[in-house]
Amino acid sequence: MSAGSRLENANPTIFQRSGERLLTATEEDEDAHDPIDDREIFDILSINDPEHPLSLEDLNVVEQVRVKVDDAESSVGVEFTPTIPHCSMATLIGLSIKVKLLRSLPDRFKIDVQITPGSHASEEAVNKQLADKERVAAALENSSLLEVVNQCLTSRSI
Amino acid sequence: MAADSSLLLSLVEEYVSGLQDSKAKDTATGVKDGEFTVLQLVEALGLSLTSSQPHTRARGVQLLSEVLHECYGNLTEREVEVLIAFYENRLKDHYVITPSVLQGLRALTKCAALPPGSAVSMLRSLFQDVHVQSLMLAERSCVYSMLINLMETREAELKGLGADFVFGFVQSMDGERDPRNLLLAFQIAKSIIHRGYDLGKFTEELFEVTSCYFPIDFTPPSNDPHGITKEDLIEALRAVLSGTPKFAEFVLPLIIEKLDSDVQSAKLDSLQTLTSCVSQYEHKDLAEFLEGLWTSLRREVFQTSSERIECAGLAALTALTSCLSRSVLNSDSEDSLSTFLDLVLTDCKHHLCEPDLKLVWPSAKLLQAACSASSRASHIITAAVMPALVEQYSSRTQCSHRRTLLEVVLRFIQSVTSSQSSENEESMFLAFRQSLCDMVFSALSETNSSLQITATTTLTSLAQQTGLLLDADIELAVDHLTRLLLTEEDEKVSVAVVSCAGALAELHPTIFISKFIPRLKKEMFSEPMDQDNNREASEKHSHHAVRQQCLSALAAVSIRPSVVQESTPVLLEVLSSAHAGSVGFSVEEVVLACRSLQKIAEQVQDTEETGRCFHELIIPRLLSLALQAALQGEGSSGRRSPLVEEVVLSAVVSVIGTSCSRLQPKLAEQTAARAVSLFLDGDVSFLPDNSFPSHIQLLKQPQRESWSQLQMVCLLMGCVCSLPRSVAVPQIEQLLSQLEEMSCTCTHPLSYTSAAKCFAGLVNKQSQGDSLDSLIQRTMKRVCGELDSTSSPTRSQAFTLMIWVAKGLLLRYHPLSTALTDKLFSLLDDADLGSMAAEGFSLLMSDSADVLNRGCHADLRIMYRQRFFSENSAKLVQGFNAAPQEKKSNYLKALSNIVNKLPKQVQITELPALLNLLLEALSCPDQGVQLSTLSCLEPVLIDPPPALIQQLEALFSRLLALVSSPTMSVKITSLRCIHALSRLPTHEIFPFRARVLKALARPLDDKKRRVRSEAVLARGEWYLVGSPGGSCLYSHERTNENLEQH
Amino acid sequence: MKQALTLLHRLSAHPDSRCWYVSWNPSGTLLASCGGDKAIRIWGREGDSWICKTVLQDGHQRTVRKVAWSPCGNYLASASFDATTCIWKKKDNDFESLTVLEGHENEVKCVAWAPSGNLLATLDEEDEYECVTVVNSHTQDVKHVVWHPTEELLASASYDNNICIYREEDDDWECRATLQGHTATVWGLAFDRTGQRLASSSDDRTVKIWKEFPNEAGQGDSSWKCICTLSGYHGRTVYDIAWCRLTGALATASGDDAVRVFKEDESADPDQPVFSLAAQVTKAHDQDVNCVAWNPKEAGLLATCSDDGDFAIWRFQEEE
Repeated sequence: MSAGSRLENANPTIFQRSGERLLTATEEDEDAHDPIDDREIFDILSINDPEHPLSLEDLNVVEQVRVKVDDAESSVGVEFTPTIPHCSMATLIGLSIKVKLLRSLPDRFKIDVQITPGSHASEEAVNKQLADKERVAAALENSSLLEVVNQCLTSRSI
Repeated sequence: MAADSSLLLSLVEEYVSGLQDSKAKDTATGVKDGEFTVLQLVEALGLSLTSSQPHTRARGVQLLSEVLHECYGNLTEREVEVLIAFYENRLKDHYVITPSVLQGLRALTKCAALPPGSAVSMLRSLFQDVHVQSLMLAERSCVYSMLINLMETREAELKGLGADFVFGFVQSMDGERDPRNLLLAFQIAKSIIHRGYDLGKFTEELFEVTSCYFPIDFTPPSNDPHGITKEDLIEALRAVLSGTPKFAEFVLPLIIEKLDSDVQSAKLDSLQTLTSCVSQYEHKDLAEFLEGLWTSLRREVFQTSSERIECAGLAALTALTSCLSRSVLNSDSEDSLSTFLDLVLTDCKHHLCEPDLKLVWPSAKLLQAACSASSRASHIITAAVMPALVEQYSSRTQCSHRRTLLEVVLRFIQSVTSSQSSENEESMFLAFRQSLCDMVFSALSETNSSLQITATTTLTSLAQQTGLLLDADIELAVDHLTRLLLTEEDEKVSVAVVSCAGALAELHPTIFISKFIPRLKKEMFSEPMDQDNNREASEKHSHHAVRQQCLSALAAVSIRPSVVQESTPVLLEVLSSAHAGSVGFSVEEVVLACRSLQKIAEQVQDTEETGRCFHELIIPRLLSLALQAALQGEGSSGRRSPLVEEVVLSAVVSVIGTSCSRLQPKLAEQTAARAVSLFLDGDVSFLPDNSFPSHIQLLKQPQRESWSQLQMVCLLMGCVCSLPRSVAVPQIEQLLSQLEEMSCTCTHPLSYTSAAKCFAGLVNKQSQGDSLDSLIQRTMKRVCGELDSTSSPTRSQAFTLMIWVAKGLLLRYHPLSTALTDKLFSLLDDADLGSMAAEGFSLLMSDSADVLNRGCHADLRIMYRQRFFSENSAKLVQGFNAAPQEKKSNYLKALSNIVNKLPKQVQITELPALLNLLLEALSCPDQGVQLSTLSCLEPVLIDPPPALIQQLEALFSRLLALVSSPTMSVKITSLRCIHALSRLPTHEIFPFRARVLKALARPLDDKKRRVRSEAVLARGEWYLVGSPGGSCLYSHERTNENLEQH
Repeated sequence: MKQALTLLHRLSAHPDSRCWYVSWNPSGTLLASCGGDKAIRIWGREGDSWICKTVLQDGHQRTVRKVAWSPCGNYLASASFDATTCIWKKKDNDFESLTVLEGHENEVKCVAWAPSGNLLATLDEEDEYECVTVVNSHTQDVKHVVWHPTEELLASASYDNNICIYREEDDDWECRATLQGHTATVWGLAFDRTGQRLASSSDDRTVKIWKEFPNEAGQGDSSWKCICTLSGYHGRTVYDIAWCRLTGALATASGDDAVRVFKEDESADPDQPVFSLAAQVTKAHDQDVNCVAWNPKEAGLLATCSDDGDFAIWRFQEEE
């Protein structure tokens, strides 16, 4: 491993996973309507961190309390917290979160992905990039960038 | 002899000059048959051996060597002596002769008749006259084989050579490149070390000549016929390098150096070799390298990205520490263990106290690895670390920090447990008992659920430390656990609390008997009304949830017989109070009480004591309560006892069945006999609270049908159908005939079905023979008669009995089962029973919960499903083709019911033939058929047979159509199938990608969450199909690009 | 007052993809659309309905972000994320690719013809203009460019929240004014009929009206000032704005899926204009509305397009 490719944060603190959502009787009821809720969005976001072979949830990059969804208003807001304040992967993590949500939510949703306030040195710049749908669209047509994003989104089949 | 000698001469002539290789074999045969001796052969070779042409001489020696290769076993000592002298001499000859000479010498090394001294002389000549590494591969191999052979048989003699032997070997293998030869050379080096050959002043040379291959870097060529792997070489070399402490001063610096390597496999090999080395070493071998080794190990664990390397590093640290711990026993010099652990503690301990706790895990892992090495190491480390951890814990306010610290503590306790040499040893945490208890109890009082869960695990570990916790601590622990059990809403915390209570109760039964069980009993029996007035804390927590927790906790703590004696009466009291209506327990709570009884029956040790408890007390009590409830029927008050409810009865059946199947066969037999006399003769004498009327007839249809009494037959099934097959059921014939009668005539579904199941359960265990056959035939006749008369009012009853008997016989491969299953096939066309018949196949193929399963000791052959399928699949296909359109769905349903239950291997081999039928079944409007076909397709799709690949278009159209089915379960399963298809080869499925992505957009907005979740998973995977990065491995360099514009 | 937007037609222009932009030809008879499916489609009216006259495929390897007709109506320029600009020539009823302009290093996000038809401005991520010259005034990528209706004067909107005005000076294009005021990316720009005023739309969810004032000393560059800000109307980013040269109505396209039309109060002080919301359709499209375009000849005819892949044609009804 050359110095250039050393991991930025070799020993992130690992948090306990929240475990599988338990099924409720309503969810089994054919006729009941289950609104899309925060936990559901949070579960969708079990994305691989590009630096660590763990999911973003393990690293508390995404926490359930930082997910806000309004099913009726068709809006989703996610704040993520990069593991260290200068993490250069922040944009990539954010892009992966955004892409995962674009692929996983109905078209009607407006999706906002932002860095948790105060957790990253270039918070505004990253937020602005993630909010620009033209840049996001262009990025996803760039095959090497798409490759990295896809790798983050590959479910780990062990 | 003259004739022989001329034969010999001609053989020699033909081999040497005529170059006929086959003559060597003929010559050898001659020697073996005694036609001539080896020495005569040497004589006959005379001319060729003295020829001026090296090639002729070589040919001559070659003949001799080949003969020796065949005949070395028959040589005399004298012959060997001459031959050795001859060959030694030839070693000095022209190089073209050497290969044959070596071949001959190798044959001689295998001789049992090797004269004393010849081994030494052979080797001296070899080392002196031959430069091994200029030989060809095969000849070098020959030299190694000679050494191996001689080391096997002439060890003492070779040792007499002293260090010269080692030197000779070192020179021979120096520069070896071939992996096969290296394996031989490593084997020799290993023997030299392990068998105590004198290394003399050549220790370093032996090390150098082998260690130059470390770490092994070898990739076997594809199609390598020799099958040598990198691992073979690594293992062989490791055995050499770690074989002797004499190498310590060379190998340890080498390992330190190689750990610096960027190659992951080199790091791993170095760490594993280190682990292997130190297991042979004493502390003095390590002394001067400890610092260097520690620096490397620490770096690997702190900085690695690979779990394997981290594990190997920690294992090496444990081995190192354990080496130092061992040596200290016979050393009065400096205590190297404490010196080393000081080093470890200096580097790691402070990380446990850093404000951000970033490096807390790797530091803790290192300390724990050292800790688990020996009890002395544990003492030193825990004494140094625990006070710091305790202090940290109390000074932190963030829950996540506290949890991290508590988990670190937990791992320390666990690592110490693994190092403790004996159970009787005093716990090393004795000094910290109070602060550890404070920590755990404070964590249990927090509101953070993951902190609470960690605390319960820690509590369990502490309790397992011999003599650590005082009774007062356990009492306090019980208070905390009880409080959490009664107030906690988080299901994961409750589960952790229950399992902690179970572990503690096994170790400290008395406190659980005196405190825990009475407290739980009080909570369960208090009515919800009282609670709302008195206690605010539990208002949020519904009373039902509290009872549920108490019931499962009662089961969890009931492992020791003494606890079972106290807990089961509480559970029985729940049932009797519910029956009497004195305390308001819901039907669900009554069921849970039964489940707890069943769980206890499952988990207790099968002792006489617990057996009596179940057979003498619990089962009679259960039967008595059920009978009281049944007799009371709907009673005058209009209130129905929960004990007549079907769910409750089947829970009671499980309790009885589990007890009868696994507790004390003798007592179980008694239970069965009592049950039979209760049901046949109305004998109620063994039941407690005996105030029953004397003329009870439970299996006879009364004038005015009372279903509540009839359904009691399911309890009879519990008593008689779960016994081991060796236990006989009394009055079996009468019992069977009454059961048959009841199952054919009764109109109450639960009753006639239970009677049929009980009948089938008994028939399944009856011994083979005429009486069984005639019984079956009689029943079959009656059943078929009913089924053939389409106007009969009891066709459903006959059908139920038929299907259960068919199952009972099918499981044991009884030949008469075919007649019944054929009848079932014919009913698929029946106007009334067709769809029941189709469902019947599911019953035949699946395990039933309460009868005819392995737990009930049923006669059950392992392959019965496959056998049934292979005997009947053709019938099904024919029936389908012949059936009228409106009946076809019954066949499809039957098919999917059967295929669904087959092992995947069988499904894959059978699927191609049935594929069209299954695809047809997917378009069948019946949702049941869709569902079972989908669930049988799903596992097959993960590794689909080629036949399926050719039908992808049809498959995708049908699956994508089912995604918009109105039924949730159909949607979910079809989405799973589509998900599974994303793993097929990209070139096969890429053409469907756009269609799939579009079709899966809709279920993302389904009203059911479970549908959406499946759609999210499937769509996510389909996005990756044929997209960059979708399948290949991740490479780090790529991430430099991001959304920044260039 | 009875003013409304009535839906006349809705067509799936770029199915399973997004429609980024629509553009009327100068005579108002044809509409070009482009999108994420790498294609350009030309639509024309036939009787009472709109049909796809032709599909221009294979010109671009990636998303076609914008299209622009030449003032004569015979050429079409398309800008793509594949870093090229294509010029298509109309030939009978079809189009042929005339030339491909390469020279951008990154995605080309906008293209516009100068009123004379001689100059074509394209821009990519790094604020470069092609053909004539390369100008670097913005610190970030440029989102949109428009030409002044009569003069050879160019305005650009950028990710750096600013708008720049350029004029030719000694064969070179120079930035003559930087309009600061928006607090987020500026996505859309539109000149009014006279070219004295410029409307801009932004990710800060506002629309601003800018006016050119002659320099007080009467010489040198004139200065541009913001004379009006429309805020509180848009729920998300305002992606595009169009100023009708026939009616003076201002239309906006927004990420809140709505299309809105604003009218100016003619009695107000021209230096302190008042715009009021004349009509809005809140669910004009199922997803973000990306573009609004007034028909140049038929007053009140408005085209819009959206991420949902559709384009729609609306009638803006003036007060009776």
